[in-house]
Amino acid sequence: MGDNNTLVRARDLTKVYRTGDVEVHALRGVTLDVHAGEFLAIVGPSGSGKTTLLNLAGALDSVTGGGLTVLGRDLTELGRRARAELRLRSLGFVFQAYNLVPVLTARENVEFVLELQGVGRDRRARSTDVLEELGLDELADRRPLEMSGGQQQRVAVARAVASRPKLVLADEPTANLDGENAEILMTMMRRLRDEQGMTFIFSTHDPRVVAYASRVVTLTDGRVSADKRRNADEKRNPKNPDTQGAS
Amino acid sequence: MIRTVSYKYALRSLHRHTRRTILSVIGVGIGCAMGLVATSWIHGGGEMQIRAASESGAGHLRIVPAQWPESRENSLRLTDWQEALAVVEARSDVHAVAVRARASGLLAFGNRTAGVEMVGVAPAGEKASNRIVRKARIEGCYLRADDEDTVVIGRTLAERLDVELDDDLLVTLSGRDDISRAMLTVVGILETGSREIDGAVCHVTLDELNRITGFGAPAEITILLDDNRRIDRVREELAQAVPEGNTVITWREVSPEIATGVAADRMFTRLLIGIVVIVVLLGIASAQLTAVLERRREFGVLTALGMKGRQIAGLLMIEAVVIGLGGAGVALLVGGPVAYWLATSGVNITKMMGNDLSVGGVLIDPVMYGSFGAWVVWYAVGVSIAATLGATAYPAWRAARTDPAQAMRVT
Repeated sequence: MGDNNTLVRARDLTKVYRTGDVEVHALRGVTLDVHAGEFLAIVGPSGSGKTTLLNLAGALDSVTGGGLTVLGRDLTELGRRARAELRLRSLGFVFQAYNLVPVLTARENVEFVLELQGVGRDRRARSTDVLEELGLDELADRRPLEMSGGQQQRVAVARAVASRPKLVLADEPTANLDGENAEILMTMMRRLRDEQGMTFIFSTHDPRVVAYASRVVTLTDGRVSADKRRNADEKRNPKNPDTQGAS
Repeated sequence: MIRTVSYKYALRSLHRHTRRTILSVIGVGIGCAMGLVATSWIHGGGEMQIRAASESGAGHLRIVPAQWPESRENSLRLTDWQEALAVVEARSDVHAVAVRARASGLLAFGNRTAGVEMVGVAPAGEKASNRIVRKARIEGCYLRADDEDTVVIGRTLAERLDVELDDDLLVTLSGRDDISRAMLTVVGILETGSREIDGAVCHVTLDELNRITGFGAPAEITILLDDNRRIDRVREELAQAVPEGNTVITWREVSPEIATGVAADRMFTRLLIGIVVIVVLLGIASAQLTAVLERRREFGVLTALGMKGRQIAGLLMIEAVVIGLGGAGVALLVGGPVAYWLATSGVNITKMMGNDLSVGGVLIDPVMYGSFGAWVVWYAVGVSIAATLGATAYPAWRAARTDPAQAMRVT
């Protein structure tokens, strides 16, 4: 077990998908520590294992081999219900395809998570506060189909952080957004990290997004091929082309 | 516990494919309506058969000698019958009482003979409790309490013996100690329209029968209650109260063939209802499973957000309950008026059965009515919701086991 500052500790982590007789080795021994307050980008080509690593860290999928501890919990020993409880109480998720519940408004999407957590009467007020905090109050009563992709993804971030999770996992959150919306989203996520101390791990292909990261981990064929911490100057001006292209 | 937003989610999900939801509601409703009408019909029919059997002489309850249920021997007589009768007459829930005895024998007129079961009756009680006497057309008159040497027979029996009113019949009966004989004058010829019943009726007064046979007591006290739903309760109470040596039996033991028929009808109808419900249930299950498979990714997302399997199943169950309530509404709209019509107008079964309205020696009603009441609402709601919950069980189980990573990988 690591210190309290280490939120994710992976040791020689492997993941194998089996389809009939075919085995796909998605992760081939990943060793990685993620500390509180990091704004970590996982980059790499398609099929390199980015989504798999996020799924494992998010307790969405089961580990094939190696060790994985998230927020002090050994995921290799957690059952289905315990993993669901961990996701509900301590983790936030942002998906590439937004994945808001289409029949609920923005506010209800946020409120839904709080309701699952057992938050009582003030969950509506809290969801409204979160949307206001992130400048999304004008979208509160709109359903996903009445919003643009960028707006939906910002609401998805609001949903992910509504319960103040310690760790937010985002799988290619800007993949379906144009440059302007991608920047708005990354700025919002950075602000949450800076102001509320949340830790973000996100996968991406987009060099402009990578520029916001405090640390960039590169995966190649299921292994960590590079792990680079960025200095203060680089992070201060994410739009500077010289600071981009970390992967 | 599923709360507000969850309810909104479940209810709004029904609008995703409004036509599919409406078809599901109609499917459940029609199936449930068919079950409701069939239940109304069979329940009403069963009531009618019980009423017919009990009013055709069997009664709802009968006090008989303790050995009679085993032996069915007509020579057995009640113990302390006046005390037993007093116990019955003291009850406020008794509609009518008939005191009887029976004897097997032979009627002869000229060179014609006919075997009969002669029934000794108390005329007033018999008219009140026996619809065969009450509803039949009678040529001449029925028995009076003070009649002596008189007999009332059925039309078919009269034709078989070729007798008319005021003719004298030679009666030969198995008596207490020996074979007994008497001459009886025909004072009434009774006609119900049923050759089976009219070929069996042979009534004399109870005193007359006892005089001929040499017995001094009746063999049965037949009881009609105000409410046939109380048969078993009253039986238990009477069994405690009647003098020792007697026992209390129900119409089911007196007329087991009718009871078996009622039970068989009910079972057959329930089987039909079951088949209809299963067919409807499979249809709804198919629609629900399709809905679940379409929303697999969404359930994956909800699971990823921390929703537990039972909570997801709960969402689908809410949807099922709403469909079930809609189905109940359709069932009441479609099946309710039909059941009401069956209960109020009934179906004239003489078109199917002709004028011979007897089954197993029981005179049935010419119009058969269904059953209708508050139960219709509970039936529609209960069956409809149970069917949709049953149909949703497997899809809900599938949804509850959604693997979030796999569900979101497959788009």
